[in-house]
Amino acid sequence: MRKFLAILVCKLGRFVGKLVGKGSSMPGKAALKLCPDILRRIQLPQHIIAVTGSNGKTSTVEMIAAILRADGRTVVYNAEGANQTEGVTTALLTHATLGGKVRADVLLIESDERYAARSFRYFQPTEFVVTNLYRDQLTRNGHPEWVYDAILPAIHEDTALILNADDPLSSCFGRGRAHVKWFGLDRCPSDTDVPTGMYHDGAYCPVCKAPMTYAYVHFDHIGAYRCTQCGHARPATDYTATSLDLEEGRLTIDGDVDIHLAFRSIYNVYNILAAYAACRECGVAPGTAAGVINDYVLKNGRMQAFRLGSHHGVLLTSKHENSIAYNTNLRYIRSVKDPCTVLVIVDAVSRKYFTSETSWLWDIDFDLLDCPQVRRVVLAGRYCNDLAMRFSFTALPQERWSVQPDIRAAAADLASNGDEEVFVVTCFSDRDKLLDLPAVQKEAL
Amino acid sequence: MELKIIHFYPDLMSLYGSYANVWVLQRYLEALGHTVTVEPVVPGEEKDLVGADLYYMGAGTERSQTAALTDLYRYGELLKDAAAAGAAMLFAGTALELLGASITSADGTERPGIGLASFTSVQGQKRIVGDVYGTTDLFPDAVVGFMNKCTLLHGVETPLLTGCALGFGNETEGGPEGFHWNNVLGSELTGPILVKNPRLLEKTAAAICLRRGADWPQEPPRWPFEEEGYAITAEQLRLRCRK
Repeated sequence: MRKFLAILVCKLGRFVGKLVGKGSSMPGKAALKLCPDILRRIQLPQHIIAVTGSNGKTSTVEMIAAILRADGRTVVYNAEGANQTEGVTTALLTHATLGGKVRADVLLIESDERYAARSFRYFQPTEFVVTNLYRDQLTRNGHPEWVYDAILPAIHEDTALILNADDPLSSCFGRGRAHVKWFGLDRCPSDTDVPTGMYHDGAYCPVCKAPMTYAYVHFDHIGAYRCTQCGHARPATDYTATSLDLEEGRLTIDGDVDIHLAFRSIYNVYNILAAYAACRECGVAPGTAAGVINDYVLKNGRMQAFRLGSHHGVLLTSKHENSIAYNTNLRYIRSVKDPCTVLVIVDAVSRKYFTSETSWLWDIDFDLLDCPQVRRVVLAGRYCNDLAMRFSFTALPQERWSVQPDIRAAAADLASNGDEEVFVVTCFSDRDKLLDLPAVQKEAL
Repeated sequence: MELKIIHFYPDLMSLYGSYANVWVLQRYLEALGHTVTVEPVVPGEEKDLVGADLYYMGAGTERSQTAALTDLYRYGELLKDAAAAGAAMLFAGTALELLGASITSADGTERPGIGLASFTSVQGQKRIVGDVYGTTDLFPDAVVGFMNKCTLLHGVETPLLTGCALGFGNETEGGPEGFHWNNVLGSELTGPILVKNPRLLEKTAAAICLRRGADWPQEPPRWPFEEEGYAITAEQLRLRCRK
């Protein structure tokens, strides 16, 4: 009876919530009050796929959903957040019959790495994808090993893991486990011999802290690592990018699945691999997955084209407090051939909480912008001086970068000067401060 | 004058842009006309560290900290002698804990520190994170920074910050923070604390120069971006204090 009531209350609450435009966690919260173990009492979908990690969660989840739907599956989806248990409850019960059977084939969950253990108290994912563990939002996450320790209790022994073989830290989740599928990228032309970037999180083994060596590195500390002492090493992969040509935008998976990349970033390749691996593990045929991923343009708004004066521009959302996300976008700018201007905005470090912490700027490899086509760099926002201090230690000569605290003034100055391509590197917390200016017209990518 | 900075474990203890303290200090000393050599120390590598002008270590994860401690024991006596003789030291973030009498990890394992100071460190399961706005006896300006640790530091008799109007100190909210003795500066404030605090950079540089008998200028060098960056962060944190 309580189960029936909880489902009914949740459905009604969601209906009313939609009418008044309220969030989706309240109905689930009410249902959990009425019946605390409701998630144990309902008949869950056959597949419960959770995706966690520092970078690429949203994009990976979006592609997994698109592939599964193309395969004819019904997907119930919930975004990350502190109220995840309540949110998942709402999503499941609104799709459930009054008898408690969820009318969906797949429950897909984007799981905040800090809340994973709490979210999976009442049910366990059947497939758990960990995209990677990098330095990300350290003001609340501590450091990557701290996050690793927080996720570990959330992984049930029956859950099948889908892990990034090329990441020395998140690959540790697979140590000693039977149900693990690995995705990764074979050696490719853009590789380096040693780790790159401002810090070397692959210098020492995450298991025993002995020095590690690399056969090749795709970016930062991601690649083919091997510990000189305990043997922790990149495992053989089950789903593999066997060939990658970023200049041509060509990716081949497992030797015979050819994909054209809408966004030519190695980052995008990892998200594609994670999504491909998860869907294949759910029984999707290679051709179906490839058909969706081919030239797939993400809908999550991480990239936004715009026009400003005579400039065409692209805003690359970079996540403040995340040096790998920044480096990826800086590397993308470096790969562009035509002359360009780069605008870096750090105004609010986070949109969710207050902090004046800017030490993460020192983890970003801004020297990537020291290339002939980057004609000038403009540093804007409240923390432009912190950016300037960082830039004063790069190889970029000072005449190539300037400081303008006011974002509107920086945009006005750009609008009245030149017609070269403009790349904007900033975060969700700051992007609309530029995109909402009257002088800026958004365009389709 | 030729000056030498020892940078302990730059890859192992590298969280939160810790290396920037060395970069900014080197630039400062070079602006004063000195020649600066930075000598990195890697675990297991034999190095003669006697007679350096500054010994530096940055923040690391708790597991990296244990690895750093294991290697640092061999330099324990050298560091204690150097500190007693007035050598400058900066141990930032979790590196500070290594200077004390002991470190107890979250699983209850107790390891001796190098014993330069008598304080003890006890790590826990809870992360203590947040902006810090504190005061010091070294100069009138406030010290700004960010705390990111899981440790309570007990028994510090001579803290670096006498109190924090915002943020967590050694063992209490708002309490004294860090450690200061002779020219040894220690703070669990993470990252580029010398970039964020121009006066602390000045003090550290002065400690190095005065000990070597170098002239200290009437008007020490200043970088406008660093000064302005500090002013904005201090203002933001003061606004936060009022809330």
